[in-house]
Amino acid sequence: MAERMLGIQYSTLAQERETVTLGMWAFLATEVLFFGALIAAYLNYRIWFGAEFIAAAKMTKVVLGTINTAVLLTSSACMAMAVSTRDGGGRRAPVLWLIATALLGLMFIVIKGYEYSLEYQEQLVPALNFDVARHGGVAEIFFMFYFCATGLHALHLLIGICLVSWLAFAIGTDRLRPGSTTRLIGLYWHFVDIVWIFLFPLIYLAGRNG
Amino acid sequence: MHAPRNETYLNATVGIRSWLLTTDHKRIALLYFAGITFFFFVGGMAATLIRLELITPQPDLGSPDFYNRLFTMHGIIMVWFFLIPSIPTTMGNFILPMMIGARDLAFPRLNLTSWYLYMAGGTITIIALLLGGVDTGWTFYEPYSTFYATGYIILAVFGIFVSGFSSILTGLNFIVTVHKLRAPGMTWYRLPVFVWSTYATSLILVLATPVLAMTLLMLLAERVLHVGIFSPQLGGDPLLFQHMFWFYSHPAVYIMILPSMGVISEVVPCFSSKPLFGYEFVVWCSIAIAAIGFLVWGHHMFVAGQSLYASLAFSFLSYLVAVPSAIKVFNWIATMHEGWIRFDAPMLYAFGFIGLFTIGGLTGLFLAALAVDVHVTDTYFVVAHFHYIMVGGAVMGYFAGLHYWWPKITGRLYPDYWARFAAILAFFGFNLTFFPQFILGYLGMPRRYQSYPPEFQIWHVLSSAGASILAVGYALPLFYLLWSILRGPRASANPWGATGLEWSTRSPPPPENFDVTPTVIRPPYEYDRGVPCMQAKNG
Amino acid sequence: MSGRLILRCWLALVVLLALTTASAFVPLGSANLFISLGIAFAKALIVLLFFMELKTSAALVRVFAAAGFFWLMIMIALTSADYTHRTDQPVPLDRTAG
Repeated sequence: MAERMLGIQYSTLAQERETVTLGMWAFLATEVLFFGALIAAYLNYRIWFGAEFIAAAKMTKVVLGTINTAVLLTSSACMAMAVSTRDGGGRRAPVLWLIATALLGLMFIVIKGYEYSLEYQEQLVPALNFDVARHGGVAEIFFMFYFCATGLHALHLLIGICLVSWLAFAIGTDRLRPGSTTRLIGLYWHFVDIVWIFLFPLIYLAGRNG
Repeated sequence: MHAPRNETYLNATVGIRSWLLTTDHKRIALLYFAGITFFFFVGGMAATLIRLELITPQPDLGSPDFYNRLFTMHGIIMVWFFLIPSIPTTMGNFILPMMIGARDLAFPRLNLTSWYLYMAGGTITIIALLLGGVDTGWTFYEPYSTFYATGYIILAVFGIFVSGFSSILTGLNFIVTVHKLRAPGMTWYRLPVFVWSTYATSLILVLATPVLAMTLLMLLAERVLHVGIFSPQLGGDPLLFQHMFWFYSHPAVYIMILPSMGVISEVVPCFSSKPLFGYEFVVWCSIAIAAIGFLVWGHHMFVAGQSLYASLAFSFLSYLVAVPSAIKVFNWIATMHEGWIRFDAPMLYAFGFIGLFTIGGLTGLFLAALAVDVHVTDTYFVVAHFHYIMVGGAVMGYFAGLHYWWPKITGRLYPDYWARFAAILAFFGFNLTFFPQFILGYLGMPRRYQSYPPEFQIWHVLSSAGASILAVGYALPLFYLLWSILRGPRASANPWGATGLEWSTRSPPPPENFDVTPTVIRPPYEYDRGVPCMQAKNG
Repeated sequence: MSGRLILRCWLALVVLLALTTASAFVPLGSANLFISLGIAFAKALIVLLFFMELKTSAALVRVFAAAGFFWLMIMIALTSADYTHRTDQPVPLDRTAG
């Protein structure tokens, strides 16, 4: 593999590595505020509307949601294994772990799609067929949050799947020079997982008792 | 690696591709400068039409709907496409890496991407405005903007959404750059205040803009899908939109003022021939303004229906945010005290900034008082307040920086007398334009109104007269700065006798900024040793 | 990051997931929200500290990581200062408007 050319702004490889790591964390901080804004709006409505808002959450599919959470947590573990084996200098092991990560991500998307189809059948999709007369306006607002939040999350997940797939290809065909790339993509993947870790209880676990 | 003596970042490579695909922070700064200048004059044109309209109490220049679209256009363009990017993307991009002794920003390709996002967003918004525009005001309050307004809201909002990512990436780039690319010996407390100010600004860019992105996305969802998340039809709360919008938009005004304050902190010591008074205070006040600025947004919603408890909290916090700004003003004045003052154009703009920003800041305190705000909110008092800060403050700071670093950027000197004349003209024009608006607002003239009762006319006439003078003050630099590029005398490396690292390299700088990476051995602003002491060892 | 550590983290995460889902069905009033969010924080911490290696990262990286969450807390705290003190009632649905 050829020597990596350092950009003119860097004086050492270590400086470059530290800089791009900081850059990725700064980017993740912006994503925290991006999703966080949606979550903040959700929380305020939950406070303000109270019982009616929480009751709407009961119409989400908690079994599928739980399975999906487990899928994503496992995918994070696979991603961590990919980073760890790549650190060790491997090629085959990281590729296999990356493929597992991507496949689990796809599984999440499929389950989500199935969930959406169920919601469509039950007339819970705002702007398409939400039955306001039956469920109420507050429930429609809840489901707007549901689709916006899970939709944006799924979009981020799809981007992650593309990145992980590209990474598996690049490592497998020996096109990737040693560096921070695997670790950085790992950070992104774990972040998408963390977003779901918070979305899950807010969306699926509200109003499950009483 | 030494560049040849006559190689600068301007002539190192030629051709349009070498500019549109550049990763050189200095060239990207000039690309931004072109866009910024364009949008400034577009927004200025809207302002001109507004002031022409308001000379008489009756409608003159079209329907009320047209007037609504006019002030909306003025606000959107000036806020998002001029003020927020202005100093960070031009002078920040150009000067910051040089000030810290770096050869470029941390992520040069990301920097270029930021410019393309800015231009794309701006283009989309301009198209929306050309097609007929938007009449909601730049604040897009719901449910008017989502359910009742006609106009190209989706397009305009999408343009702003896209340009928001430009802001985020620029801020990210600056933060990481300041942390990781400082030259040997450049410790945090040796950084010029302009770097600290840009850093504080970048914190806001990175932490506040994503909230705007989500807010605009939800606005678009509501408008496109006709499902009222924030509208009463389903039981939603229009105030929640305002909370989310102002959580960004208040810190945004600190994005607009902090870089200007940074410029003033560079200009005042240089042209007073004295070190900056209270460096640590000025530095931490910049950070404090950025931090506390996140806690005050509810003062835009005192009469909107938020709980009294929240209003009290926000009122108190708004008083708090004025303190670090005031400390900075005291420090600038203390810097000038017993200094040897030179009245070059940058310093004249700095004088203007300090006086006008103080008035704007004080009137902000009036507005922070709940009882006063109930009376003057949504009147011209508010309009005058924020124009004193944004035009009297931020724009003056922009022109100060432009005139200060022009020789470094272009390698040319502009004509002294024209520059000072323009600065003084702008100062008088500004005050004549906006001081009557304080009176108007206090007397009860509402903002965003095309027609008004005849007793207000005298103040509007004075204001419009001032606007015409201000316009000349802003137009003049176009001419003499352009002239300087074509025929101005060549500038030396350090025409002002300043101490920062950027002055230790030639004008215009070589492509990689320095022939040899400087080593920093002194704190900034050592103007009190008889001869200005440059920060770098070999400077 | 050894394979053993990753496995243990994964087990902890799955256990916490089972715990949070189960606890949702136990009627605990307003405590349910805090418990589920608390467990979510715990899961997130495991991912942050171990998978994202914050435990072994430089202090500056940890500050960057914390900054986003901290600012989000500010937003949530101050907006809820409004909503927890509202004295008005939500308007009943009026589908005849708009």
